[in-house]
Amino acid sequence: MSVEMELRAAACRLLEEGTVDLFIGWERGSLPASAVPVFITDPADADRLVFDITCGTNPAVYFTKDHRQFDGKRVGLALKGCDSRAMVQNIMEKQVEREKVVMIGVPCRGVLDRRRVALAADGREVLELSDLGDAVRLSGRGFDVEAPREAILADSCLACAHPDASVADLFLGAPGGMEDAGERRLRRVREYEALSPAERWERTVLEYGKCIRCYACRNVCPSCYCEVCFVDQNDPRWIGGTCEITDTLIFHLIRNLHVAGRCVECGACARACPAGVDLLLLNRKVAIEVLERFGEEAGMEIGAKPIMADFREDEKQEFIMG
Amino acid sequence: MSEWNPRILAILCNWCSYAGADLAGVSRIQYPPSIRVVRVPCSGRVDPLFILKSLQSGFDGVLVSGCHPGDCHYISGNYVARRRFAVLKPLLDFIGIEPDRVQFSWISAGEGERFAQVVSKVTEDIRRLGPAKRLVKKT
Amino acid sequence: MLDRTALGRFISVLAGSYDVHAPVTACDGSFEYAPVRTAEGLDGTRTVTGLSPKGIFFPKDEVLFQYDGDGIRSGEASCRPIAVWGMRGCDARSLALLDRVFGSAVQKPGEERFQDPYWKARYDGAVIFGAVCVKPLSTCFCNWFGGSPSSTEGMDVQVTDLGDAFLLAPVTPEGEELLGRMDMLTQAADTDLDASREVAHRAGAMMSPPFSLEGLDRRLPELFHDPAWAGIAAPCVNCGACTFACPTCHCFDVQDEGRNGRGRRLRVWDSCMFSSFTLEASGHNPRARSLERVRQRVMHKFSYFPANYGERLCTGCGRCVAVCPVGFDIRKVLRGLGAPRDLKKD
Repeated sequence: MSVEMELRAAACRLLEEGTVDLFIGWERGSLPASAVPVFITDPADADRLVFDITCGTNPAVYFTKDHRQFDGKRVGLALKGCDSRAMVQNIMEKQVEREKVVMIGVPCRGVLDRRRVALAADGREVLELSDLGDAVRLSGRGFDVEAPREAILADSCLACAHPDASVADLFLGAPGGMEDAGERRLRRVREYEALSPAERWERTVLEYGKCIRCYACRNVCPSCYCEVCFVDQNDPRWIGGTCEITDTLIFHLIRNLHVAGRCVECGACARACPAGVDLLLLNRKVAIEVLERFGEEAGMEIGAKPIMADFREDEKQEFIMG
Repeated sequence: MSEWNPRILAILCNWCSYAGADLAGVSRIQYPPSIRVVRVPCSGRVDPLFILKSLQSGFDGVLVSGCHPGDCHYISGNYVARRRFAVLKPLLDFIGIEPDRVQFSWISAGEGERFAQVVSKVTEDIRRLGPAKRLVKKT
Repeated sequence: MLDRTALGRFISVLAGSYDVHAPVTACDGSFEYAPVRTAEGLDGTRTVTGLSPKGIFFPKDEVLFQYDGDGIRSGEASCRPIAVWGMRGCDARSLALLDRVFGSAVQKPGEERFQDPYWKARYDGAVIFGAVCVKPLSTCFCNWFGGSPSSTEGMDVQVTDLGDAFLLAPVTPEGEELLGRMDMLTQAADTDLDASREVAHRAGAMMSPPFSLEGLDRRLPELFHDPAWAGIAAPCVNCGACTFACPTCHCFDVQDEGRNGRGRRLRVWDSCMFSSFTLEASGHNPRARSLERVRQRVMHKFSYFPANYGERLCTGCGRCVAVCPVGFDIRKVLRGLGAPRDLKKD
């Protein structure tokens, strides 16, 4: 039985038995080669569930938006590795009650990035996409091409260190994974670090200069759930609302610092960005620093202490005079 | 270049570093008049926004100083601060902000001489870099 | 007619008197409007840019005025006139809709309305070279709003790409006058006109049939409390991407910055999707829930704006559908709301 069929059966059973009141998964979207979140209450609707390379959205975000929207309900959900880590992180931060959720882990081999798909099709609109394993087939009006799978996977997935759920009540299928993920994760960061400070600044300005301050990155992030975000505070006002690079960079730097040790690098931010900014550049740098210095990663264990609220008495402090 | 003097924001924790700065003053120890001091109860109070906003406002550099690990008046404030700084500093470096612009130190209440030395070192580092341009906001 | 090989010259001559903008494919594959002085990177094969051209006339951030010890200076752009090459019909029409809000068109005869000088400074003297769409996307639904791949509303000149040459058809007197000043153009032959009609016809045939929104603007207020909204709004995370990509969305925030006797007032894009959009000084928020904000977006575009301006605030460009990270599809929503109601959950 495919994972998709196992998932439908599991969701149907959970709803029928009344173990959950609501099941969140993915269903076919109206756009070609897309999947969208679906909220199921009727066991008969479990057949709408799908799981494949198009299932990019992180359902954990629904637990921290519109606070308390699931109060009183038991919710089942299908979770890729990154999604489950985001749930664990939110449970750790007491935004979600563990007993109120039934987490079903699904094995992930990466999800697509629609910009990469467009690039692989030379800018032509892809109307059909088939996952052939190591390659994908893209077809549209007047064209039919094959591309390596990696050419269309999201940036986050190519460097994914945790494709499978860190915590799950039930795990379906065989573990997923990405070859050389750990190496790839480091490589992008090290490549950037090898540039001179002036070059790094220039590239940063060019990349983040594309930002239009729409805050889609913040809003799709499961870890960004402050009732009043620091950019919206105006007494005092911390940062300006312009797209001048100084304001834009301060937004992204501080957002990254606010999710330091909490970001699971799911890539939802980068995929949501309407301007195509390479947002994971900074997220990944922070995540690697956290791992190297403190030996921990976000969302791995429910009982763990939030990383930035924790400390060891002896830690690397080479940058501090003292 | 000799006309220009760096303007550095020094965020000092009340119990150790600020007291150390006081001691330097009372002992008439000379050091460059480049710092403007902001006193905080603890280095753990320091929000990265303070540092970034200072650079945005036109400060040429920022020095953040607190108690030595183990000596924090609030027991663990500086430990948590240390983690925060440990993530902020490499991130600033990563985007191309000169590393010497933002510096950190642990200075105790009895280290007046050392306070002066740290300020002199930081001032010289920033003088060499020149006025800060990269994150400065127009108005 | 403009020979393809002469396009570069055309653009650079235009750039002599205008600030020219056009959709450009960048090396990272992105397709967005950018200032141009030559034909390099101009791409007529891709239909819709990621972000709309509204930012050329209604910038995402602009200085309204600034002040210092010497007084107040207005931020009104005393810029060169703007020319845009390659604008699609949906986008050209959306600018005409924005002009109803910000600019010249009066609502009703005899009613004076404030005219936004910042908008007028950019839009009034602008020349829009529109482009006939050769390949509509599956996300295109301009025909729901009376548009088509060859619509001309909002354009000064309509351009059809015929392969080795472009057919330039004047739409307004300004367009006609400008074409008269360009010496590299030749007269179009009947065969060229036939070919351009063929292009338009072929493109039109690729569009899916429109869904009729007849009467929806009056019915929507009756559906304000309809249980369907819960299902409609469920996937939305209020990220705001749709409003920023949309060519007709025009909500803005005014922010003041200042210290030590100098400062400025800014206008920046805002979004009804943001939780703070209707947050009041008292702390009360009439649209605190996601559902309320999603409903508001649909109501504004398809009910309130039509009531105020007689037009729907949408031109069917499809960007909101393409950019939404959770696949919210306004077409699906409108079909559902427009269908006969039977109160069963959908």
